[in-house]
Amino acid sequence: MDIQLKRGLLDVCVLAAIKKEDSYGYKIIKDMSPYIKMSESTLYTILKRLEIAGLLTVRATLHEGRVRKYYHITRAGLGRIQDFKEEWREVMSIYKFVTREDSGK
Amino acid sequence: MTKQEFKEELRKRLSGLPKRELEERLSFYSDMIDDRIEEGLSEDDAIKDLGGTDKVAAEIIRDIPLSKIAAERIKPKNKLGALEITLIALGSPLWITLAAAALVIVISIYAVIWSVLASLWAVFASLAACGPAGLIAGLIFIFSGNALSGVFTLGAGILCAGLAILFFFLCILATKGIIWLSREIMVGIKNLFIKKENA
Repeated sequence: MDIQLKRGLLDVCVLAAIKKEDSYGYKIIKDMSPYIKMSESTLYTILKRLEIAGLLTVRATLHEGRVRKYYHITRAGLGRIQDFKEEWREVMSIYKFVTREDSGK
Repeated sequence: MTKQEFKEELRKRLSGLPKRELEERLSFYSDMIDDRIEEGLSEDDAIKDLGGTDKVAAEIIRDIPLSKIAAERIKPKNKLGALEITLIALGSPLWITLAAAALVIVISIYAVIWSVLASLWAVFASLAACGPAGLIAGLIFIFSGNALSGVFTLGAGILCAGLAILFFFLCILATKGIIWLSREIMVGIKNLFIKKENA
């Protein structure tokens, strides 16, 4: 898959994983795993990128006697998911058109 | 292997990386290990689940941009004294040329690799073009009464078309191979920067 496209898709995946409630690294990977496998290093890079872009914020919370970082989606992050949905409605309709002839008449 | 050993091992291997960047990444992995332990895995299994030091070190090197690694290498460990600054300034005609030469070598290696690929695709394109051209020319010969040349040209066209199909798959294979090779070269260059630090 085109690298630029894949990067954008993974960004939205991570945002979707923290959309309902704040989440932490390991939980994000587990929640995504039925759909997409992502290495820890990749996730770290994406979280960092999203934080710098202002699409999420990080907060450190005490958990079981240690600090755990929670990721919280911002308004801009929610906006990115919304944009994604609208863009992909178009992509899906193009996909339908492209595969229309494959399925026969 | 304990979490502490895991982090020590990575610190040792990746000592050429920017300190802050490395510590942030290590603390991220540390959280990942703690969360797995909380789920019932042993410390050792949690680290194995992450993929072990080899895999983690390779991933980190892959994900940190070369510019950051190089900047860390070039950054002096101690504040520069007046003498060192003078030496660097005096030596600049030498080291700037050397650095530029090194850069040019890397760029030309890439250029050579990619031009091999470009020429392969060019051969494919010309074969593909010869196919239909041979067919059309052959038919024109036949209809203008020159049957022998016509059949020959027609045959040549079909041969080219067949070769083009073969070549297409060869080109795809070569493209994939070269993309892989470029990536390996990049990792190699990054390793060069990190290894020097350890020596």
